Amino acid sequence: MRYKILSVDDSKTVRIIIKKAFKLYDCDILEGANGVEGLALATKETPDIILLDVTMPVMDGVEMLTKLKADPVLKSIPVIMLTAEGGKEHVLKIAKIGVRDYIVKPFKEELLVQKVGRIIDLKPITDAPAKAKSIFDPATLLVVEDKPAIFAQIQEGLKHTPWQVHGVASTGEAIDFCGRTAVDLVMISLSLPDESAFTLFRVLRTNLKTKYTPIFGLVVKTDVAAQQMAQQVGFTGIATKPIDISELESKVAKAMNLDTSLRYFKNESDLLIMSLPEVVTPTVINEVTGYIKGKVAEAVDSGINKAVFDLHEVKRLDMNIIKMLLTAMQTCREVALQYSLVGNSTLLADCKGYEDTRNWQFHDSIADARQGLQKLAGAPA
Amino acid sequence: MPAIQEIPEAVFQETITRAVQEVFKTMLNQNVTHVPMNAEETKACLGLDTPHVVSTVGFIGSINGLIYLYMQDAFAAQCAGNMLGMDAAEIKEAGDETVNDAIGEITNMTVGTFKNQLSDKGFPCKLTIPSILRGSNFQIESITAATRRTYKFAIGPNSLIADLLMQPPSE
Repeated sequence: MRYKILSVDDSKTVRIIIKKAFKLYDCDILEGANGVEGLALATKETPDIILLDVTMPVMDGVEMLTKLKADPVLKSIPVIMLTAEGGKEHVLKIAKIGVRDYIVKPFKEELLVQKVGRIIDLKPITDAPAKAKSIFDPATLLVVEDKPAIFAQIQEGLKHTPWQVHGVASTGEAIDFCGRTAVDLVMISLSLPDESAFTLFRVLRTNLKTKYTPIFGLVVKTDVAAQQMAQQVGFTGIATKPIDISELESKVAKAMNLDTSLRYFKNESDLLIMSLPEVVTPTVINEVTGYIKGKVAEAVDSGINKAVFDLHEVKRLDMNIIKMLLTAMQTCREVALQYSLVGNSTLLADCKGYEDTRNWQFHDSIADARQGLQKLAGAPA
Repeated sequence: MPAIQEIPEAVFQETITRAVQEVFKTMLNQNVTHVPMNAEETKACLGLDTPHVVSTVGFIGSINGLIYLYMQDAFAAQCAGNMLGMDAAEIKEAGDETVNDAIGEITNMTVGTFKNQLSDKGFPCKLTIPSILRGSNFQIESITAATRRTYKFAIGPNSLIADLLMQPPSE
C-alpha cells in the first residue's frame, strides 16, 4: 500500500523540497497551497499524514488544524507542523490543539523523513517486481566485530561470493558506514562491550535506510542467553562461532532473499541440468527441493523436454538425497520430461544398497546423458 | 522583559547572523561570514544599480518590523537551484517565479529564526507572508519611527545584505 502524505504550504519551494525528500520512498505526495485546499484534499484523499505550515494566506495552518481536529473523520490523521514559527509560546499553543510533531524551518530533508518515518511505515522504493536478486549479484555486507580474527575468517570464507564484506570494530563506525552506504546485511557481534550490539540494532531499526536490512547476531555457540535475547529483540538470524562458512553463506543468502537456484539448475539448449555439489548438506537438499517444481515447469514452458541430474561430484548417497532425487524424477514424469543421471562409481555402488535405487544407471558425463536421451526419444514407442 | 530600545546592538547583530548562518548551512550547505561595514559602506550597499532580488518578511507582536534580504539576480538563481536540486538550465526554464518563491522561503526561514530567538527572549511576535521586489535601480526608505540596522554577509564569492527595520508596538 502506498502511503499518502499531504503537504500544505503556500511555498511551492517547500512543497518541492518535500517531494524531493520522499522521492526514494514508496509514497504519494499530495499538495495544498493553503488551509482551504488542505482541508479539501484531506477530506477527498484521507492522507496517512499531513505536513502543515502555519503562516499561509486564505486559511492559515492553525485554523486548518482546528477544523481537522473538529472533524470526526479527519481528526485521527497525524499532523506534523512544518513551519518557521518556532517561538516556545506558539509551539505550546499549537501542541494543545493536537499535533504529533513539530519541525521548525530551516530543516534537513533527513530529519523530515525520519520524523514521518516514526509515524508511518515508510518503505524505500525497491526495483520490485523486477527479477529477484541472485546469488551471483553483488551485495554489501557489514560485519561489526571488535575481534579482527573473526572478521578475517568471514571475509576469507565468503571471498568466492560476489559480496563485498566490510568490517568495523565499533557501533559508531557502523552507524557512519550505514549512513553513507547501502548495506544489504549487517552482522553484529553480540559480545561487543556494554551490550552495544543491542543498542546498535535499535538504532539501525529506527533508521529508514536500515529499517528492513537483515541483521544477524554473531555469538559463541554456547552463549544461549545472548542468542535468546537477540531473537527476542528481533535479530533476523544468528550465526554462531566457530563460524561454519557454508552455513553462514546459506543463511545470508536466505535472509537477503537471494535466488540460489542458479547454483543447482541451468538450461542448456534442449536440456534442464540439475547439479548437486560434492557435499549435499540438509540446506542444499531444502533449497533444491524447494526449486524443483518451479524449475521443471519453467523448462517445459520454454520448450525443454529432457533433464539430466548431474551427481558426478557427489561423494556419498544417503536417504535424504535419494528422497530428493525421487521427488525430482516424479516431477519430471508428471510433465513427460525424460531424465537421465550422471554419476560416478561410488554412487553406483551406494545405489545397490537401497531398494529404490538398485536399478539406477549413471552416465559418465552430461554429453553421454544427452546422447542417451536423444536415442531414447528416437526409439520406437 | 527589557524594552526593545534597551536591547544592545550586539544582540541584534548576533541574532541575525545566527539566523542567516543557520538557514544557509541547513538548506544550502553554505557557510556565511558577517562582514562589518562603516556608515558609508552601509549607505552604498542599499543603493542598487545592478539587477537584484529583494525579499521581505515582517513580524508583528511585541516588536514590529521587517527584514529585507538583498541578493544579486544571479546569486538568487543559484540559491534557488541549490535549494530545489535544479541546475542552471532548469532554473532558467522554471522562470523568475520559481526563484522568487525560493528566495521568499529563504527569507521566511531567516526572519522566522530571527524572530523565534526574539520570542524566546520575551518578545513574542508572528510572521507575515513573504513578498518580493525585483529591480536594478531603486532604494528602500524606512519610516522615521523605525530603527534601521543593516548587515552584510559573505557567502562564498557572493554577498547578502540583511536590512532590519524595527519599531516598538504602537500603544
